[in-house]
Amino acid sequence: MKAKDLMIPIHDYLTPDSSLKEAVNLFRTAVRGEQQVGVMGLTVLDAKRTLVGILSMTDILKAVYPSYMSMMNLGDFTWDGMLESLACQAGDKKVGDLMTRKVITAREDDPLMECVDNLLKNRVRRMPVLNKGGTVIGMIYLRDIFFAVTQAMLDESCKLR
Amino acid sequence: MVQDVTAASTQIVMGSSFWIATSIFILAYALIVSEKIHKTIVAIFGAALMIVIGIVTQEDAFHSTELGVDWNVIFLLVSMMTIINIMKPSGIFEYIAIKSAKWGKGEPFKIMAIFSVVTAVLSAFLDNVTTVLLIAPVTLLICQALELDVIPYLITEVLASNIGGTATLIGDPPNIMIASKAQLDFMAFIYHLTPVIIITMIVYIFTLKLVFGRRLAVREDLRQRIMAMDESEAIKDPVLLKKSLIVLAVTMTGFVLHGILHLEPATIALFGAGLLLLVSGVKEPHHILAEAEWATLFFFIGLFIIIGGVIKVGLIKWMSLQVLALTEGNLFATSMVVMWFSAFASAIVDNIPYVATMNPLIIDMAKQLWPNLSGVELLQHPELMPLWWSLALGACLGGNGTAIGASANVIVVGIAERSGNPISFKKFLLYGVPFMIQTVIISTIYVWLRYYVLQV
Repeated sequence: MKAKDLMIPIHDYLTPDSSLKEAVNLFRTAVRGEQQVGVMGLTVLDAKRTLVGILSMTDILKAVYPSYMSMMNLGDFTWDGMLESLACQAGDKKVGDLMTRKVITAREDDPLMECVDNLLKNRVRRMPVLNKGGTVIGMIYLRDIFFAVTQAMLDESCKLR
Repeated sequence: MVQDVTAASTQIVMGSSFWIATSIFILAYALIVSEKIHKTIVAIFGAALMIVIGIVTQEDAFHSTELGVDWNVIFLLVSMMTIINIMKPSGIFEYIAIKSAKWGKGEPFKIMAIFSVVTAVLSAFLDNVTTVLLIAPVTLLICQALELDVIPYLITEVLASNIGGTATLIGDPPNIMIASKAQLDFMAFIYHLTPVIIITMIVYIFTLKLVFGRRLAVREDLRQRIMAMDESEAIKDPVLLKKSLIVLAVTMTGFVLHGILHLEPATIALFGAGLLLLVSGVKEPHHILAEAEWATLFFFIGLFIIIGGVIKVGLIKWMSLQVLALTEGNLFATSMVVMWFSAFASAIVDNIPYVATMNPLIIDMAKQLWPNLSGVELLQHPELMPLWWSLALGACLGGNGTAIGASANVIVVGIAERSGNPISFKKFLLYGVPFMIQTVIISTIYVWLRYYVLQV
C-alpha cells in the first residue's frame, strides 16, 4: 500500500492570517473523509494554495503554555484558572506565528514504511500528502497506519509468508 | 615620561606579522560586535588563524601563561557550571525565588526590591547568566500571578545581577580573568570590591523605590495567589539538596581560604565539582557535563589565543604606551580613564573580549612604569592595584548600559521576547544608561576616596 491509499482527503485548511480562535473553530467542524467531523491538526496554505505550515494540537497548547514554565519546575506554583485565562488571551494570536513551518510531508506514492519512518523519526502523528505537482491532497495519520499494521498482522496471508 | 614613551614605541617592530595579527584581531572584534557570525565561531577561527599563520605556535597557544589560553578561567567556569547543573534538579532555586516572593508578601515593590537583592547576592557567587536563567522564569510566573507588567522586574533584576556579580572574584567573568592575570585572591575582591558594591546596591534599591515605589499596586485577591504558594513543594530531592549545600559550603570556604592554602581558585572549583559529582550519585556524567555552556567556554579559549597573537607582535605594548602617553604616567588619571572607558566600552562590546585585551595592556603598562619589578611585586604594585579595581568596576558595571552589554542582558531580553514581553533596545537603554552612570559615579568616588585620598 502507498500513502495515497491510506490518506484521508481533507478539504479544510487554515491561512497564516487566521486567528487561533478561528482555527480551533475549524478544527471542530472540519470534515475528515466522508463521515467524521473534527480534526486535531490542519495544513496552513497561503493565497496561492502552497503549503506554508501545519497547526496541530501541540502548537495550540504551546501557545497557551508559558515558555518560562518549561525552563524550571514551576508546576506546583500555578493557580486555578491560570490555564483558562491564558487560553482566552491566546485566542487572538495569528496562526502564522504559531504554526510549525518545517512540515514533514509524504508524496502520494511513498510506501507505508517510508511514511512510518518519517512519522516516528520526526515524532509527528500526521503528515500532509502531496501529489506530483506539490499540491496537498490529503492527510496520512499514524493511527491509520497502525490499523493497517494490525490488519496485516491478523491477515490470513501472514501465515503464508 | 612622554619621551620615554616615544623611545619605547620605536622598539616595536611593525613588520608584516604585526599587521597580520592586528588585522585578525580587529576583524575578529568587528565580527563579534556585528553579530553577523556567532562570536564563538569567530573566536575559534581567529585563534586557529593565529596559529596556522605562525603568529603564535601551538605551544604558545596551549601552554604559555603569557600568550596562551588561561586555563584558570576555563576550569573555574566549567567547574562552577557543573556544580550548578548538579544542584538544579534539587529545586533549591525555585525554593529561594518563591520564598522571596512570599517574603515580600505579594506586594509589588517589596518583591521588586527583594528579587533584586536576591539576584545580586546569587550573582556574587554564581555566574550572572546562570542567576538570571534561574530568577527570570519565576519572575514571569509571579508577575503573571499578580497581573503586573513584567518588564521593569526583569530589567531591574538583570541590572542587579551585573552589580552583584562585581562583588566577588567568582561573580563575573571579568573578575575571574583579572584575578587570574593579576594573581589576586578571593579575599582581595571581598576586601576591595564588596564594600563599594554593597553601597551601590543600597543606592540602587533606594532609587528603585523613588521610581517604582508608588506606581505599583495589586488587588488583594491576586496577592493571595502568591501567599497560597507553598515553597516547600519546590524541593524535589532533599538528599541531593543537602549534599549540594554541603559541597557548596566546602567550595566557598575553599575560596575564602585559597590564598592561605596556596591553591588557585580553579583548583578549589574543580575540587568542588569533582566532589559533588562523586557524592551526588550521578551515574552517567554525560548529561551534566554536556549542559555546561561550551559555546561560552570556547569563546574564551579562542579569544585568549587571539589576544596572545597581538601580545606577541607588540600591539598590546603599543596600546599601553598610548594610554601612558595620554595620562602622562599619572596613575590616578589612568585609573579614571580605565574605569570610564571600560564602562562605555563594555556597554557596547562584550566585556569578556574587552577585559581579555585590557589585562595584558595593564600588565604592560606596569612593566613600563616599574621595569625592575616582576611577578606578584609587579602585578600587585600598590600603585597599580586601583587600576585593577577600576577595570573590574568599569567593565562589570558598564555591562548594564545596553541590552547587549553583558551576556545576562542578552539572555533576559531573549526570555522576555519568548514570553511575549519584548524589551526593545531603547527600553533597555532607558533603564540601563542612568543606572550605569549612577553606579560608575559611585565607583569613581570610591576609588578616588579610598585609594587616592584616604589611601587604605
